[in-house]
Parts: sequence; C-alpha cells; structure tokens
Amino acid sequence: MSDEDLSYEQARTELATVVERLEQGGGSLEDSLALWERGEKLADVCQRWLEGARDRIEAARAARTDQ
Amino acid sequence: MTQPTEPDKGPVKSTPDEPWPVRVVSQKIGAWIAKLGWVWVDGQVAQISRRPGSGVVFLTLRDPSADLSLTVTAHRDVLDAGAPELAEGARVTLHAKPEFYPNRGTLSLRADEIRQVGLGELLARLEKLKRLLAAEGLFARERKRRLPFLPGKIGLITGKGSAAERDVLMNARRRWPAVEFRVLHALVQGPGAVPQIIDALKVLDHDDTVDVIVIARGGGSVEDLLPFSDEALCRAVFGARTPVVSAIGHETDTPLLDYVADLRASTPTDAAKRIVPDLADELRLMEHARARLDRAVLGMIDRERQRIEAWRSRPVLARPESLIDQRAAEVTALRDRAGRSFEHRVRRADDDLRHTVARLRALSPAATLQRGYAIVQRPDGHVVRAADEVAAGDLLRIRLADGELQAAVKES
Repeated sequence: MSDEDLSYEQARTELATVVERLEQGGGSLEDSLALWERGEKLADVCQRWLEGARDRIEAARAARTDQ
Repeated sequence: MTQPTEPDKGPVKSTPDEPWPVRVVSQKIGAWIAKLGWVWVDGQVAQISRRPGSGVVFLTLRDPSADLSLTVTAHRDVLDAGAPELAEGARVTLHAKPEFYPNRGTLSLRADEIRQVGLGELLARLEKLKRLLAAEGLFARERKRRLPFLPGKIGLITGKGSAAERDVLMNARRRWPAVEFRVLHALVQGPGAVPQIIDALKVLDHDDTVDVIVIARGGGSVEDLLPFSDEALCRAVFGARTPVVSAIGHETDTPLLDYVADLRASTPTDAAKRIVPDLADELRLMEHARARLDRAVLGMIDRERQRIEAWRSRPVLARPESLIDQRAAEVTALRDRAGRSFEHRVRRADDDLRHTVARLRALSPAATLQRGYAIVQRPDGHVVRAADEVAAGDLLRIRLADGELQAAVKES
C-alpha cells in the first residue's frame, strides 16, 4: 500500500512506532536513517490529511453561509 | 279463504288483496305506541312554545349527545309546578307517555311531570361519568398519543368567528408561519353542540392530511362547557386515530374532554404554543447545533494537529543530526578510549621494554667487559667456557668491551 493510501490513523500509528524505535536507538545507522526518513514521510501524510479535513470544513462552511 | 279476524280489528294480516284502510293502520300504530307506557326521559329543552289561551305547552326535547329530538306536550300547570321559568337549553327529566295523533299521524310525548335538572345534579352526573370513564381506562396516560413535532396540517373545531378560533390561528401562525389549518365550525354550547363537534371530529380524523386535531372554545359558564364533558364526545375523542388537543375555557376549566384528550392545553392560545414549534427558537437551535458541530470537528483536528506537531518536534525527528551526533559522540568516545588504551598499552610496553632492557643490561656482560674481561665464542655462537670445547685452528670470536677480535686457537 503506497503511503498515499495510508489512512490518517494508519499513518499516525506507524509514526508513533517509528518515533518509539528511533528513541530506543540500537538500530544500525543505516536503519536509523531509514527510520527517520520514514518518520518524516509519515508526518507529512498526517499533516496533509489534517489540512485536507480543514479545507473540507471551510468549504462546507462557506457553502453554508451563501445558501 | 277469508282471514281470521280479531274482534273489531279487521283481518289480522293485511294482504295486497285485502289491504287495511288507513284508519285501521293508524289505529294499530296507536296501539303499538301505547305499548311503551310511561317512561322517565332525560333531555335538553331546545324550544318552548306556549300557545296563548290554550292550557297546553309544546316543548322540543333534544338528546344532548345525538341529533334526535321529540315533541313534548304538557299542561301548563304541570310545567309551572315542576319547572317554573323553564328556559331553552335547560336540562329536564320528565315522566311521559308516547301518544299518537291519528288525524295528522304525528307522535309526541305527553308529560304529566317535568323536573328541571339543577346544576348540582348535572355536576353530580358529570362526576359519576368521570369515575366511570376513568375506570374504563379512557384517561390512561399510556393510551395518550404523542403529538407530531411539526404537524403538516392542523384540524381545528371551534365556534365560527370565535375568539378561540382567532387565538389558535394567530398564535400558531406567529410561531410557525407555514402552518396549515383545516377549520370546521361547530356550535360550542347548548343543545346540538355535541353532535356537531363529534361530526367535525370524524371528518378531521378521516382526513389523512390532518396530523393533530384541536377542539377549542373560549371561557364560559359551567353550563356552557357541559357539552365538553359529554360521554359520547369523550368516547369519540378517545377513539380518534389522530391525536386530539383539548383547549376549552380558561386555565381553571377542566371538562372531561381534558382527561380524554391526548394533550390538555389550558387555553386556545396555549394550544397554539403546544402544537407548533417556534420557528425562531428552532432556527436558533439549528445555529447552536451547527456551532457545536464546527467546534467539535475543528477541535478534533486541532488536537490531532498538535499531536503530530508534538511527534514532529521530538528530537529524533526534529534533529536527525542528533542520531548522527549521538553516533559521532559514540565514535569519538570509542576513539578516545581506543586512543587512551592504546597509549596506555604503549606506555606499558615502553615500561616493559625499559624493564627488559634494564634487566638485559643487568645481565649483559658489558660491565664485565669493561673490567677487561672478554667473551670468547665459537663461530656457532657457543660461549667457550672450557679449553676442551675447542680445538687448535678453531676460529674464535673475542668480544671486548670495545669491539671484537677474530682469532684462531693455536693449541688447546
């Protein structure tokens, strides 16, 4: 499943795991870097979901006012 | 074959061939009617006509619940004795016998006693009826139907052009301008009121577009409101499919209709308030609901955003360098440790060396050589300690304090 198909909850849960593992440390440098990159990507996905949601509400409210 | 005949009554059976003359028929009718005999009758006086000069008074007596009436004749004395100043609309109980007047073929009751039913008596009857209906469960709360929140059409039974009609219509429209009414007018007091109200109720109840029926009437005397405690009306209201609102009289008036109806409004105006929501209130509620909706959703989004922000600001994500710094630090630490331990080892090695050298030197023959001794070795390095270890002509290596000599054995 590509990252874009991730639901908000899935992305958020995976992000939590990534942060946890990174904070535990212990992985190889290569792994840690890969984890970090994964974390950034997941955070972006979550952010996009939230911004999308906000836009939808704003649009609905705008539509509501000019009924 | 001739018919068997009763004495002076003509043939027993009338047949097309031997029909009875009118006089016989009317005489038989008279006989049949007389069979009822004396009865006590309860009814309401709709009309009184006193023929000047004749001792007879004619009354029209109506049934309070049904559209039926009978003519009553009574001698003036009977009337004056039993019910002086009898007025139209009064409730009477009379002792009478049905009489058939052959010449005009009319029927009427001849009363020999008339009693006016006083208000007390009427109210006592009402209480008795109330207990009866209650016992039958007509007042049971669980049988009451809920009113629709927003009725499509409201059925209204009230007096034509009455204040009650205006109150209900005006107040309802003020609250919900789009409300629709179907108004049926009926008498709201006196004889004939109950049947008209019941008829109107049936019409509105069968009208599927009507979602609630209001029976409304303004204030009035106890007698005026009596129709609204009528048993037939109460049973009709109880049996109606459509919810019924009773809005009779003032706050304090509670005719039996109030107990049977699905909702008791204290006044017609109160009824209007109870049957339609107030548009302005509803719009405000709508706004509140929307605002809470927005706050809830936006609140949730903000909380989630903060959560993501929080994660994002965690060092592992915010400053990935920290990962590298950490490792770099580890590496440096390791390197330092390595360096130190290396140094340490070198120093120790150095010490060892110096030690060994010192021991070497302590063991070394240099000092002895200094004192003039020399070390004699065979070419194979063997140090010669005895003469017999070598033979003449062997080569020797003689190491002196300073330098060394090559020599050969002359003789041993």
